Amino acid sequence: MVSFVTARPAPQAAGTVCSAVPVGRKFLNTHTKKQTDMDPSEVEFLAEKEMVKIIPNFSLDKVFLIGGDLGPFNPGLPIDVPVWLALNLKQRQKCRIIPPEWMDVEKLEEMRDLERKEDMFTPVPSPYYMELTKLLLNHASDNIPKADEIRTLVKDIWDTRIAKLRLSADSFISQQEAYAKLDNLTLMEINTIRAFLLDTLNCMYKLRSNVQ
Amino acid sequence: MFIADIRKDFYEVVANQRVVLLVAPDIDALCACKILQALFHCDQIQYTLVPVTGWQDLGTAFLEHKEQFRYFVLINCGANVDLLEMLQPDDDSIFFICDTHRPVDVVNVYNDTQIKLLIKQDDDLGVPSYDDIFRDEDEEGEDSGNESDEGSEPSGKRRRFDEVRIKPSRSKREWEARSNIGTLMLPEILNELLNFHLFSCQAAMMFFELAWVLTKDTKDMLWWAIIGLTDQWVHDKITNMKYVTDIATMQRHVSRHNHRNEDEENSLSIDCMRISFEYDLRLTLYQHWSLYESICNSCYTSCSFKLWTLNGQKKLQEFLADMGLPLKQVRQKFNSMDMSIKENLRDVIEESSNKYGMKDIRIQTFGVHFGFKNRFLASDMVHATAALLESAEKDDSETDTFIKALDALSRSNIDRLHSGIELAKKKLIAIQQTVASCICTNLILSQGPFLYCYLMEGTPDVKLFSKPMALTLLCKYLLKAFVLSTRNKRCKLLPLVIAAPKDVEKGTVIVVGIPPESETSDKKNFFGRAFEKAAESTSSRTLHDHFDTSTNNAENRFLDGKLFLKYTEREHCE
Repeated sequence: MVSFVTARPAPQAAGTVCSAVPVGRKFLNTHTKKQTDMDPSEVEFLAEKEMVKIIPNFSLDKVFLIGGDLGPFNPGLPIDVPVWLALNLKQRQKCRIIPPEWMDVEKLEEMRDLERKEDMFTPVPSPYYMELTKLLLNHASDNIPKADEIRTLVKDIWDTRIAKLRLSADSFISQQEAYAKLDNLTLMEINTIRAFLLDTLNCMYKLRSNVQ
Repeated sequence: MFIADIRKDFYEVVANQRVVLLVAPDIDALCACKILQALFHCDQIQYTLVPVTGWQDLGTAFLEHKEQFRYFVLINCGANVDLLEMLQPDDDSIFFICDTHRPVDVVNVYNDTQIKLLIKQDDDLGVPSYDDIFRDEDEEGEDSGNESDEGSEPSGKRRRFDEVRIKPSRSKREWEARSNIGTLMLPEILNELLNFHLFSCQAAMMFFELAWVLTKDTKDMLWWAIIGLTDQWVHDKITNMKYVTDIATMQRHVSRHNHRNEDEENSLSIDCMRISFEYDLRLTLYQHWSLYESICNSCYTSCSFKLWTLNGQKKLQEFLADMGLPLKQVRQKFNSMDMSIKENLRDVIEESSNKYGMKDIRIQTFGVHFGFKNRFLASDMVHATAALLESAEKDDSETDTFIKALDALSRSNIDRLHSGIELAKKKLIAIQQTVASCICTNLILSQGPFLYCYLMEGTPDVKLFSKPMALTLLCKYLLKAFVLSTRNKRCKLLPLVIAAPKDVEKGTVIVVGIPPESETSDKKNFFGRAFEKAAESTSSRTLHDHFDTSTNNAENRFLDGKLFLKYTEREHCE
């Protein structure tokens, strides 16, 4: 559930109503019609910057890229690289991907049970857990043990969190709150609800302002 | 020359270059092409893929690309002719040939510079040694001292090709000298060698071994290599013995891949590809069809039961009753049959077929499954891809069908594969019906030294048979069926020549000849030479365009000549 502060706005101040979109984003004016939606593929693109461990089978000296350095590659020695590079190397059969620590059946089961018990959002395994699961399981499922179960567990966690998000959005709108604070949401989850929430709030504002 | 180390002499040479891939239109070549493409993608080697359907196509493709490319890789074409003479390339073009056609032309074997053969040398090719055919040029220096040799004809005198490099001024003379030497001058050994045409170890396997040496082999590549092998068996290009030996080799690779990934604790995702060795039934496409249809349309069962006769139909019904399979179940799609029947199906069928004289109803093969729904046997894939490759759509050019068939081989295009399976079913039904009608209406005539059949233009589905692979398949089924249905003992040992209309407007036919049906045949095909000689003698226009010399295109007049008979007889005397 959402923890929020109720502050009923005075009708005249309707023009200045703005709702705080949760964690990590700046405040937005709801009644300005801007394209506020991110394509899921853009979110996936951002997720590809996360680091993952691989074991290469080739050797290469240190590579200096704009985004940072990628350390010398030695066959058989694990090294951290961004996901985009890991996937490219995997498709060219130049490495083996090691699943991240959180991608483990028992840990995910615990997280799923915790998520189901709690009303609030529990801490996530990784800020991009959904995208990473999809990318790694689509391209490197032969390196990840029990891939099918992991997919099911991550989907369960996702479903529970989205359900909670919908409930809180629903109560936010129906009770005409002005401020909400949500912890532990990931960008993908925010993205699924952003367009709907902002449009709804715009409509509600228009209806309220027209009534007066 | 033969390449000893495929990684060093081929892969690393082309690693930073742009390459042209010239690929022949058969399934083995398609699989080899897929494997090579996957390797090129891994190492980001730029390539151009050109499908070629015959010698003329090969020539045109070469002319188009010779300005920009130095390296040419020929898959399943080019080994059995003198490539340098046919294409007349510049000195810096290099050809890598991976071909299953035998015999390999001796010029290709002994050329050290421009032609590299990606063929295993321990294959019993029977290539005569260098000294038997070529005489060394060193002798010429000595010979000039001997007066007796000066006036002698240049018979058999050739130069070593790498010596030509050192003395470039002589190379032109050398070309002229060679072009003057007609076939008649060749010593007897070569004559014998060139008489037959044979297939040998498949191109896909060669490239899979390259991938293995580079440790880049994946299950996908292994599956393609298996499909290449199965293609040779389905289209009857190799002997049973060779097939079993190659299956054993594949089985080693399959177990290596399976061990690598699977154990009890870390089970693999269901979406991963799993290849398994199967001792499965010889019924074509039975898992994608109903069992009844499959039995009716598979060559082996249909010929054993003689399903074109009433008696045969009755025997089939008895057979099904003997196994205890209700007709209603058997006519249903295989996937919807009762589980209780499906469980022991193979053993039950084997037992019953032994009683009916079908001893080889089961054959060693491989199957793949990925995901929950997708299970395929190697022979299913071969039939589907062959049907796609030769589909007679009006709008599709041959390049389009080639690309479609190539796509069907990758795992992400299951829809294409399923459409291929549907086309294959139609093709098999068409073949069976044509066989039945040919036998029942006695369309097969005995012309002395061989059997002969001509499909008239109005025959249903005759458009399907204007393509070489489909026609060859029909030819083999027809011969098997004929041998079983005729009483004439002499006829059983004769080869079969079949002709079908290729292009109605131009009046051309496509002719295929296959050797006689026998248990221990070594699959050598003599018809290449026979067709050539017959064409000369009847002076009709023929186009010996196909890479497989037992097929050729001709105009209608070709078939009428009596001389045709005479030359075929001469060639066939064993």
